[in-house]
Amino acid sequence: MKATVINYGVGNLFSIKAGLEREGFNVIISFFPQGDEDVIVLPGVGAFSAVASYLNSLKGKFEELRERGTKFLGVCLGMQVMFEEGTEGGISKGLGWFKGKVDRINANVKLPHIGWDKIYVKNDPCGLTEGIDGKYVYYVHSYVAYTDNYIAYSDYGVRYPAIVCNDFAVGTQFHPEKSSNTGKIFLRNFYQWVKR
Amino acid sequence: MTTKRIIACLDVKNGRVVKGVNFLNLKDKGDPVELASRYEDEGADEIVFLDIAATVEGRRTLLEVIKNTASVLSIPLTVGGGIRTIDDVSRILGNGADKVSINTAAVENKRIISEASEQFGAQAVVVAIDAKRVNNDFIVFTRSGTYNTGLNAISWAKEVEQLGAGEILLTSIDKDGTREGYDIELTEKVSKSVNIPVIASGGAGKMEHFYEVLKVADAALAAGIFHDGIIRIPDLKKYLLSKGVEVRI
Repeated sequence: MKATVINYGVGNLFSIKAGLEREGFNVIISFFPQGDEDVIVLPGVGAFSAVASYLNSLKGKFEELRERGTKFLGVCLGMQVMFEEGTEGGISKGLGWFKGKVDRINANVKLPHIGWDKIYVKNDPCGLTEGIDGKYVYYVHSYVAYTDNYIAYSDYGVRYPAIVCNDFAVGTQFHPEKSSNTGKIFLRNFYQWVKR
Repeated sequence: MTTKRIIACLDVKNGRVVKGVNFLNLKDKGDPVELASRYEDEGADEIVFLDIAATVEGRRTLLEVIKNTASVLSIPLTVGGGIRTIDDVSRILGNGADKVSINTAAVENKRIISEASEQFGAQAVVVAIDAKRVNNDFIVFTRSGTYNTGLNAISWAKEVEQLGAGEILLTSIDKDGTREGYDIELTEKVSKSVNIPVIASGGAGKMEHFYEVLKVADAALAAGIFHDGIIRIPDLKKYLLSKGVEVRI
Protein backbone atom coordinates (compact mmCIF):
# COMPACT_ATOMS: atom_id res chain seq x y z
CA MET A 1 0.00 0.00 0.00
CA LYS A 2 1.64 3.22 -1.18
CA ALA A 3 1.20 6.57 0.55
CA THR A 4 2.60 9.96 -0.38
CA VAL A 5 2.90 12.59 2.34
CA ILE A 6 2.64 15.96 0.64
CA ASN A 7 5.46 18.21 1.75
CA TYR A 8 3.95 21.69 1.81
CA GLY A 9 5.64 23.11 4.80
CA VAL A 10 8.49 22.98 7.15
CA GLY A 11 8.14 20.95 10.31
CA ASN A 12 7.79 17.39 11.46
CA LEU A 13 6.79 15.20 8.50
CA PHE A 14 8.93 12.36 9.79
CA SER A 15 6.48 11.24 12.53
CA ILE A 16 3.48 10.81 10.27
CA LYS A 17 5.68 8.87 7.86
CA ALA A 18 6.92 6.64 10.67
CA GLY A 19 3.39 6.21 12.04
CA LEU A 20 2.02 5.08 8.67
CA GLU A 21 5.00 2.79 8.08
CA ARG A 22 4.36 1.06 11.40
CA GLU A 23 0.89 0.10 10.13
CA GLY A 24 2.17 -1.28 6.85
CA PHE A 25 2.14 1.65 4.43
CA ASN A 26 5.01 2.25 2.06
CA VAL A 27 5.57 5.99 2.51
CA ILE A 28 7.40 8.70 0.63
CA ILE A 29 7.47 12.44 1.31
CA SER A 30 7.13 14.61 -1.79
CA PHE A 31 6.03 18.06 -2.95
CA PHE A 32 3.76 16.45 -5.54
CA PRO A 33 1.57 13.34 -5.92
CA GLN A 34 3.38 10.43 -7.58
CA GLY A 35 0.38 9.28 -9.60
CA ASP A 36 0.45 5.63 -8.51
CA GLU A 37 -0.16 5.98 -4.76
CA ASP A 38 -3.13 4.52 -2.93
CA VAL A 39 -3.22 7.36 -0.43
CA ILE A 40 -2.31 11.03 -0.43
CA VAL A 41 -1.57 12.30 3.06
CA LEU A 42 -1.97 15.97 3.95
CA PRO A 43 0.09 16.40 7.14
CA GLY A 44 -0.50 18.75 10.04
CA VAL A 45 2.18 21.36 9.57
CA GLY A 46 1.91 25.02 8.54
CA ALA A 47 -0.78 27.69 8.47
CA PHE A 48 -4.14 27.43 6.70
CA SER A 49 -3.78 30.18 4.08
CA ALA A 50 -0.35 29.13 2.79
CA VAL A 51 -1.13 25.42 2.75
CA ALA A 52 -4.57 25.89 1.17
CA SER A 53 -3.15 27.99 -1.63
CA TYR A 54 -0.47 25.38 -2.37
CA LEU A 55 -2.98 22.52 -2.30
CA ASN A 56 -5.43 24.38 -4.51
CA SER A 57 -2.68 24.53 -7.12
CA LEU A 58 -2.68 20.70 -6.99
CA LYS A 59 -6.47 20.39 -6.91
CA GLY A 60 -6.78 19.41 -10.58
CA LYS A 61 -4.29 16.60 -10.05
CA PHE A 62 -6.10 15.54 -6.88
CA GLU A 63 -9.45 15.32 -8.70
CA GLU A 64 -7.85 13.20 -11.40
CA LEU A 65 -6.38 10.82 -8.83
CA ARG A 66 -9.62 10.72 -6.92
CA GLU A 67 -11.48 9.52 -10.01
CA ARG A 68 -8.93 6.75 -10.29
CA GLY A 69 -9.63 5.66 -6.73
CA THR A 70 -6.90 7.35 -4.73
CA LYS A 71 -7.87 8.05 -1.11
CA PHE A 72 -6.91 11.03 1.03
CA LEU A 73 -5.95 11.39 4.67
CA GLY A 74 -5.72 14.84 6.27
CA VAL A 75 -4.26 15.26 9.74
CA CYS A 76 -4.93 18.35 11.87
CA LEU A 77 -4.33 21.28 9.48
CA GLY A 78 -4.38 18.69 6.69
CA MET A 79 -7.98 17.93 7.64
CA GLN A 80 -8.89 21.59 8.03
CA VAL A 81 -7.87 22.47 4.46
CA MET A 82 -10.35 19.84 3.19
CA PHE A 83 -13.14 22.21 4.28
CA GLU A 84 -14.57 25.09 2.28
CA GLU A 85 -12.95 28.00 4.03
CA GLY A 86 -10.51 28.97 6.76
CA THR A 87 -9.74 32.17 8.63
CA GLU A 88 -6.15 31.53 9.78
CA GLY A 89 -3.85 34.06 8.11
CA GLY A 90 -6.81 35.81 6.41
CA ILE A 91 -9.91 34.25 4.86
CA SER A 92 -8.99 31.70 2.21
CA LYS A 93 -10.58 28.86 0.30
CA GLY A 94 -9.89 25.25 1.17
CA LEU A 95 -10.31 22.20 -1.06
CA GLY A 96 -14.06 22.17 -0.35
CA TRP A 97 -14.37 18.40 0.09
CA PHE A 98 -16.28 18.87 3.34
CA LYS A 99 -18.95 21.47 4.01
CA GLY A 100 -18.10 23.95 6.72
CA LYS A 101 -15.70 26.59 7.86
CA VAL A 102 -12.50 26.45 9.91
CA ASP A 103 -12.18 29.09 12.61
CA ARG A 104 -10.42 29.74 15.91
CA ILE A 105 -11.81 28.01 19.00
CA ASN A 106 -14.16 30.63 20.37
CA ALA A 107 -14.21 29.88 24.11
CA ASN A 108 -12.52 30.92 27.30
CA VAL A 109 -9.78 28.26 27.20
CA LYS A 110 -5.99 28.21 26.86
CA LEU A 111 -4.82 28.18 23.23
CA PRO A 112 -3.14 26.40 21.56
CA HIS A 113 -5.08 23.43 22.83
CA ILE A 114 -2.28 20.98 23.59
CA GLY A 115 -2.88 17.58 25.09
CA TRP A 116 -4.93 14.44 25.39
CA ASP A 117 -8.70 14.42 25.19
CA LYS A 118 -11.30 11.70 24.91
CA ILE A 119 -12.75 11.00 21.49
CA TYR A 120 -16.41 10.01 21.18
CA VAL A 121 -17.99 8.30 18.19
CA LYS A 122 -21.23 9.85 16.94
CA ASN A 123 -22.15 7.76 13.93
CA ASP A 124 -19.55 6.11 11.74
CA PRO A 125 -20.60 4.96 8.28
CA CYS A 126 -16.92 4.66 7.26
CA GLY A 127 -15.91 1.99 9.77
CA LEU A 128 -12.91 3.92 11.08
CA THR A 129 -13.61 4.04 14.77
CA GLU A 130 -13.62 0.48 16.03
CA GLY A 131 -11.72 0.30 19.30
CA ILE A 132 -11.27 4.03 19.86
CA ASP A 133 -14.56 5.28 21.33
CA GLY A 134 -13.95 6.94 24.70
CA LYS A 135 -10.16 6.67 24.39
CA TYR A 136 -7.61 9.49 24.60
CA VAL A 137 -6.06 11.06 21.51
CA TYR A 138 -3.49 13.84 21.19
CA TYR A 139 -4.41 17.31 19.99
CA VAL A 140 -2.37 20.38 19.11
CA HIS A 141 -4.40 23.17 17.52
CA SER A 142 -6.12 26.53 17.97
CA TYR A 143 -8.61 26.17 15.09
CA VAL A 144 -11.44 23.72 14.54
CA ALA A 145 -13.89 22.93 11.75
CA TYR A 146 -17.43 24.15 12.31
CA THR A 147 -19.68 21.51 10.75
CA ASP A 148 -22.35 18.97 11.70
CA ASN A 149 -20.92 16.28 9.47
CA TYR A 150 -18.50 14.33 11.60
CA ILE A 151 -18.23 10.74 12.74
CA ALA A 152 -16.43 11.44 16.03
CA TYR A 153 -15.86 14.48 18.23
CA SER A 154 -14.03 15.85 21.25
CA ASP A 155 -14.75 18.77 23.53
CA TYR A 156 -12.47 21.67 24.43
CA GLY A 157 -14.43 24.82 25.12
CA VAL A 158 -16.51 23.86 22.10
CA ARG A 159 -17.58 20.50 20.66
CA TYR A 160 -15.58 19.96 17.48
CA PRO A 161 -15.08 17.26 14.85
CA ALA A 162 -12.34 14.75 15.64
CA ILE A 163 -12.86 12.60 12.52
CA VAL A 164 -14.64 13.39 9.27
CA CYS A 165 -15.01 11.14 6.26
CA ASN A 166 -16.69 10.82 2.88
CA ASP A 167 -16.26 8.22 0.14
CA PHE A 168 -12.70 9.26 -0.75
CA ALA A 169 -11.30 11.33 2.13
CA VAL A 170 -10.73 11.00 5.86
CA GLY A 171 -9.68 13.82 8.13
CA THR A 172 -8.62 13.81 11.78
CA GLN A 173 -8.20 16.86 14.00
CA PHE A 174 -6.07 14.82 16.39
CA HIS A 175 -2.65 13.44 15.51
CA PRO A 176 -2.99 9.66 15.13
CA GLU A 177 0.79 9.37 14.78
CA LYS A 178 1.14 10.97 18.24
CA SER A 179 -1.77 9.25 19.96
CA SER A 180 0.07 6.16 21.18
CA ASN A 181 -1.97 2.92 21.03
CA THR A 182 -5.27 4.59 20.17
CA GLY A 183 -3.59 6.31 17.23
CA LYS A 184 -2.17 3.00 16.06
CA ILE A 185 -5.62 1.40 16.18
CA PHE A 186 -7.05 4.28 14.16
CA LEU A 187 -4.32 4.02 11.49
CA ARG A 188 -4.94 0.28 11.30
CA ASN A 189 -8.65 0.96 10.74
CA PHE A 190 -7.68 3.53 8.12
CA TYR A 191 -5.51 0.97 6.34
CA GLN A 192 -8.52 -1.37 6.14
CA TRP A 193 -10.71 1.48 4.87
CA VAL A 194 -8.25 2.19 2.05
CA LYS A 195 -8.03 -1.50 1.17
CA ARG A 196 -11.79 -1.80 0.75
CA MET B 1 -11.40 18.43 29.72
CA THR B 2 -7.87 18.04 28.49
CA THR B 3 -5.94 15.74 30.80
CA LYS B 4 -3.00 16.85 32.89
CA ARG B 5 0.17 15.61 31.21
CA ILE B 6 3.03 13.67 32.74
CA ILE B 7 6.24 14.33 30.88
CA ALA B 8 9.42 12.31 31.15
CA CYS B 9 12.56 14.34 30.56
CA LEU B 10 15.80 12.84 29.38
CA ASP B 11 18.97 14.88 29.67
CA VAL B 12 21.02 13.72 26.71
CA LYS B 13 24.76 14.10 26.44
CA ASN B 14 26.67 12.68 23.48
CA GLY B 15 23.92 10.18 22.74
CA ARG B 16 23.43 8.97 26.34
CA VAL B 17 20.92 9.89 29.04
CA VAL B 18 22.49 11.50 32.10
CA LYS B 19 21.16 13.16 35.24
CA GLY B 20 22.71 15.49 37.78
CA VAL B 21 21.72 17.58 40.77
CA ASN B 22 21.43 21.34 40.27
CA PHE B 23 22.89 20.86 36.79
CA LEU B 24 26.06 19.24 38.21
CA ASN B 25 27.44 15.72 38.94
CA LEU B 26 26.22 13.90 35.83
CA LYS B 27 25.54 10.15 35.93
CA ASP B 28 24.85 7.78 33.04
CA LYS B 29 21.22 6.58 32.93
CA GLY B 30 21.00 4.71 29.64
CA ASP B 31 20.04 4.81 25.98
CA PRO B 32 17.63 7.62 25.02
CA VAL B 33 15.71 5.66 22.35
CA GLU B 34 15.15 2.73 24.70
CA LEU B 35 14.19 4.89 27.66
CA ALA B 36 11.82 7.05 25.60
CA SER B 37 9.86 4.09 24.29
CA ARG B 38 9.83 2.44 27.70
CA TYR B 39 8.24 5.62 29.09
CA GLU B 40 5.65 5.61 26.32
CA ASP B 41 4.73 2.02 27.21
CA GLU B 42 4.43 3.00 30.86
CA GLY B 43 2.03 5.82 30.01
CA ALA B 44 4.12 8.98 29.71
CA ASP B 45 2.19 11.61 27.75
CA GLU B 46 5.24 13.24 26.21
CA ILE B 47 9.00 12.97 26.07
CA VAL B 48 11.46 15.83 26.34
CA PHE B 49 15.10 15.52 25.30
CA LEU B 50 17.44 18.17 26.63
CA ASP B 51 20.79 18.20 24.87
CA ILE B 52 23.07 19.24 27.67
CA ALA B 53 26.33 18.96 25.78
CA ALA B 54 25.31 20.89 22.69
CA THR B 55 28.75 20.66 21.09
CA VAL B 56 29.07 20.31 17.33
CA GLU B 57 29.78 16.60 17.66
CA GLY B 58 27.01 16.10 20.23
CA ARG B 59 24.62 17.93 17.93
CA ARG B 60 25.07 15.52 15.07
CA THR B 61 24.62 12.60 17.45
CA LEU B 62 21.47 14.24 18.78
CA LEU B 63 19.85 14.47 15.33
CA GLU B 64 20.45 10.73 14.94
CA VAL B 65 18.94 10.09 18.36
CA ILE B 66 15.89 12.20 17.45
CA LYS B 67 15.38 10.30 14.22
CA ASN B 68 15.75 6.90 15.86
CA THR B 69 13.41 7.92 18.67
CA ALA B 70 10.78 9.39 16.36
CA SER B 71 10.75 6.13 14.38
CA VAL B 72 9.56 4.17 17.38
CA LEU B 73 7.75 6.78 19.47
CA SER B 74 4.09 7.61 18.99
CA ILE B 75 3.71 10.33 21.59
CA PRO B 76 5.01 13.90 21.21
CA LEU B 77 8.73 14.58 21.41
CA THR B 78 10.21 17.94 22.41
CA VAL B 79 13.90 18.71 21.98
CA GLY B 80 15.82 21.50 23.64
CA GLY B 81 19.33 22.55 24.53
CA GLY B 82 21.73 24.70 22.58
CA ILE B 83 19.20 25.91 20.01
CA ARG B 84 20.52 29.20 18.65
CA THR B 85 19.10 29.69 15.16
CA ILE B 86 16.06 29.03 13.01
CA ASP B 87 18.20 26.50 11.14
CA ASP B 88 18.69 24.56 14.38
CA VAL B 89 14.92 24.56 14.87
CA SER B 90 14.31 23.42 11.32
CA ARG B 91 16.83 20.58 11.55
CA ILE B 92 15.41 19.30 14.84
CA LEU B 93 11.79 19.37 13.62
CA GLY B 94 12.84 17.91 10.28
CA ASN B 95 14.35 14.91 12.04
CA GLY B 96 11.13 14.06 13.82
CA ALA B 97 10.74 16.27 16.89
CA ASP B 98 7.32 17.88 17.34
CA LYS B 99 8.47 20.87 19.34
CA VAL B 100 11.65 22.66 20.23
CA SER B 101 12.38 24.14 23.61
CA ILE B 102 14.35 27.37 23.47
CA ASN B 103 15.99 28.85 26.54
CA THR B 104 19.13 31.00 26.39
CA ALA B 105 18.66 32.02 22.75
CA ALA B 106 15.14 33.23 23.50
CA VAL B 107 16.47 35.72 26.04
CA GLU B 108 19.46 36.81 23.99
CA ASN B 109 17.59 37.07 20.70
CA LYS B 110 13.82 37.38 21.19
CA ARG B 111 13.18 37.32 17.47
CA ILE B 112 13.91 33.61 17.36
CA ILE B 113 10.63 33.05 19.24
CA SER B 114 8.48 35.03 16.82
CA GLU B 115 10.30 33.75 13.74
CA ALA B 116 10.05 30.11 14.82
CA SER B 117 6.41 30.62 15.75
CA GLU B 118 5.57 32.13 12.36
CA GLN B 119 7.46 29.50 10.40
CA PHE B 120 6.57 26.37 12.31
CA GLY B 121 3.49 27.39 14.29
CA ALA B 122 3.17 28.34 17.96
CA GLN B 123 2.52 24.70 18.88
CA ALA B 124 6.10 23.82 17.91
CA VAL B 125 7.70 26.50 20.08
CA VAL B 126 8.23 25.89 23.77
CA VAL B 127 10.11 28.57 25.68
CA ALA B 128 12.04 27.17 28.63
CA ILE B 129 12.34 29.48 31.58
CA ASP B 130 14.83 28.59 34.34
CA ALA B 131 13.92 30.70 37.37
CA LYS B 132 15.58 31.21 40.72
CA ARG B 133 14.52 33.09 43.84
CA VAL B 134 16.61 36.20 44.31
CA ASN B 135 15.56 38.62 47.11
CA ASN B 136 11.94 37.43 47.13
CA ASP B 137 11.68 37.72 43.39
CA PHE B 138 11.80 35.11 40.62
CA ILE B 139 14.64 35.87 38.26
CA VAL B 140 15.37 34.23 34.89
CA PHE B 141 18.74 32.52 34.57
CA THR B 142 20.19 31.25 31.30
CA ARG B 143 23.24 29.28 30.15
CA SER B 144 22.28 26.19 32.19
CA GLY B 145 21.41 28.25 35.23
CA THR B 146 24.71 30.11 35.48
CA TYR B 147 23.82 33.53 34.11
CA ASN B 148 21.57 36.02 35.89
CA THR B 149 19.61 37.85 33.19
CA GLY B 150 17.99 40.25 35.65
CA LEU B 151 14.64 39.50 34.01
CA ASN B 152 11.59 38.90 36.17
CA ALA B 153 10.25 35.43 35.41
CA ILE B 154 6.59 36.46 35.40
CA SER B 155 7.04 39.37 33.03
CA TRP B 156 9.31 37.27 30.81
CA ALA B 157 6.61 34.58 30.66
CA LYS B 158 4.05 37.17 29.53
CA GLU B 159 6.47 38.48 26.94
CA VAL B 160 7.23 35.08 25.40
CA GLU B 161 3.51 34.45 25.10
CA GLN B 162 3.17 37.74 23.21
CA LEU B 163 6.11 36.77 21.00
CA GLY B 164 4.36 33.56 19.94
CA ALA B 165 5.46 30.79 22.29
CA GLY B 166 2.97 27.91 22.39
CA GLU B 167 3.99 26.59 25.82
CA ILE B 168 6.23 27.44 28.73
CA LEU B 169 8.54 24.89 30.32
CA LEU B 170 9.15 26.37 33.74
CA THR B 171 12.03 25.03 35.82
CA SER B 172 12.81 26.05 39.36
CA ILE B 173 16.59 26.06 39.66
CA ASP B 174 16.30 26.04 43.46
CA LYS B 175 14.23 22.85 43.42
CA ASP B 176 15.78 21.03 40.45
CA GLY B 177 17.16 17.66 41.52
CA THR B 178 16.35 18.17 45.21
CA ARG B 179 13.21 15.97 45.27
CA GLU B 180 11.66 18.41 47.78
CA GLY B 181 8.70 19.24 45.56
CA TYR B 182 7.97 21.66 42.75
CA ASP B 183 8.04 25.39 43.38
CA ILE B 184 4.30 25.88 43.66
CA GLU B 185 4.42 29.63 44.15
CA LEU B 186 6.52 30.17 41.04
CA THR B 187 4.39 27.83 38.95
CA GLU B 188 1.13 29.36 40.12
CA LYS B 189 2.32 32.91 39.45
CA VAL B 190 3.48 32.12 35.92
CA SER B 191 0.48 29.96 35.09
CA LYS B 192 -1.95 32.66 36.18
CA SER B 193 -0.21 35.35 34.17
CA VAL B 194 -0.31 33.58 30.78
CA ASN B 195 -2.96 31.93 28.64
CA ILE B 196 -0.76 29.19 27.17
CA PRO B 197 0.00 25.82 28.79
CA VAL B 198 2.65 25.76 31.53
CA ILE B 199 4.79 22.69 32.21
CA ALA B 200 6.18 22.59 35.75
CA SER B 201 9.67 21.22 36.22
CA GLY B 202 12.22 20.75 38.97
CA GLY B 203 11.87 19.14 42.37
CA ALA B 204 9.59 16.12 41.93
CA GLY B 205 10.33 13.59 44.67
CA LYS B 206 7.03 11.88 45.47
CA MET B 207 3.57 11.47 43.99
CA GLU B 208 2.05 14.16 46.23
CA HIS B 209 4.33 16.70 44.57
CA PHE B 210 2.69 16.02 41.20
CA TYR B 211 -0.76 16.31 42.72
CA GLU B 212 0.10 19.67 44.30
CA VAL B 213 1.68 21.21 41.20
CA LEU B 214 -0.98 19.95 38.79
CA LYS B 215 -3.48 22.14 40.62
CA VAL B 216 -1.71 25.09 39.03
CA ALA B 217 0.15 23.64 36.00
CA ASP B 218 -1.06 21.94 32.81
CA ALA B 219 1.71 19.38 32.86
CA ALA B 220 4.43 18.15 35.19
CA LEU B 221 7.87 17.08 34.08
CA ALA B 222 10.34 14.87 35.89
CA ALA B 223 13.53 13.01 35.11
CA GLY B 224 15.58 11.44 37.90
CA ILE B 225 12.74 9.92 39.91
CA PHE B 226 11.52 8.11 36.79
CA HIS B 227 15.01 6.97 35.72
CA ASP B 228 15.79 5.73 39.23
CA GLY B 229 12.47 3.90 39.49
CA ILE B 230 11.47 5.85 42.61
CA ILE B 231 8.13 6.62 40.99
CA ARG B 232 6.63 4.49 38.25
CA ILE B 233 4.39 6.37 35.81
CA PRO B 234 1.51 3.83 35.93
CA ASP B 235 1.42 4.10 39.75
CA LEU B 236 1.62 7.88 39.55
CA LYS B 237 -1.29 8.08 37.13
CA LYS B 238 -3.42 5.72 39.23
CA TYR B 239 -2.69 7.85 42.26
CA LEU B 240 -3.59 11.08 40.44
CA LEU B 241 -6.84 9.56 39.15
CA SER B 242 -7.74 8.49 42.68
CA LYS B 243 -7.23 12.11 43.76
CA GLY B 244 -9.63 13.28 41.05
CA VAL B 245 -7.01 14.57 38.60
CA GLU B 246 -7.88 13.68 35.02
CA VAL B 247 -4.97 11.83 33.42
CA ARG B 248 -4.72 9.49 30.47
CA ILE B 249 -4.56 5.83 31.39
